[in-house]
Amino acid sequence: MSDAPLPAVEEPIDQELIDAYADLAGDYNPLHVDPEAAARSEFGGTIAHGPVGLQAFFRSLVAWSGGAAPPAGTEVRATFLRPVRPGDTISCHERERTAGGERLEIAAECVNQDAATVIAVRAAVPAAAQ
Amino acid sequence: MGLEIDAGVPALTRVGFDRFRVGELLGTARATVDAELASGLAGPIGERTETAAAPPGVFPVLFLRALRLALSGLPDGGILARFELDFGEPLAVGSEVEISIRVGDAYERRGRAYVVFAFEFRDAAGELAVAGRMVTVWPDGPGQG
Repeated sequence: MSDAPLPAVEEPIDQELIDAYADLAGDYNPLHVDPEAAARSEFGGTIAHGPVGLQAFFRSLVAWSGGAAPPAGTEVRATFLRPVRPGDTISCHERERTAGGERLEIAAECVNQDAATVIAVRAAVPAAAQ
Repeated sequence: MGLEIDAGVPALTRVGFDRFRVGELLGTARATVDAELASGLAGPIGERTETAAAPPGVFPVLFLRALRLALSGLPDGGILARFELDFGEPLAVGSEVEISIRVGDAYERRGRAYVVFAFEFRDAAGELAVAGRMVTVWPDGPGQG
């Protein structure tokens, strides 16, 4: 684990990726995979599954931790604020870090190419894991 | 892919909001954190990146597959609002896990209905590997099912 901030990671999103994730998760919600149905929704078109947008954060967290998985005791809280759409590029950036006591708390954002925050993430990592 | 879904399991569920009872066990499923699944989620989605342990992206995938089995489909038009994960010791690739899903909460706020699914992944020894919650905007609301 590092004192450095979370590394910035980008995840480009397209419909092919969304369809592949649908196959992976078995999630064929029309909002994700049916352009005609999604066009009639409040979103006006398909949107990615939430975890697709979160993948940039997951990759960043694991790279930063130096292991293959988050350290035991890590907590992740992701709030989905805006849809991720085909054509978006999602990047993850650390915004704030608070060290103290038994935990290191990290606030991060997944933003799209227009710098709009699509996912707000708070992670707590045990200080002992550092 | 870690947790097989029989072809007879519908893609979309007809379960309405009123069906959910807080605390109810919706189902359990067994899965394997296989190398294909883990490597496809260790880097950019779908690109094989070798890994010795389950990357975090594995857990939403297996949870969604288990939820589809538990509800005989996933909600048509459901929207993910929040996802929480608490990690235990990393799971080695090849690990067997049992996934259990309960109704964590079901409520209405500002005209929208939310269902919270609470889930656990336990390893073959019964140790908690991951616990989490998924908050979903449900397609229908109270009295509409």
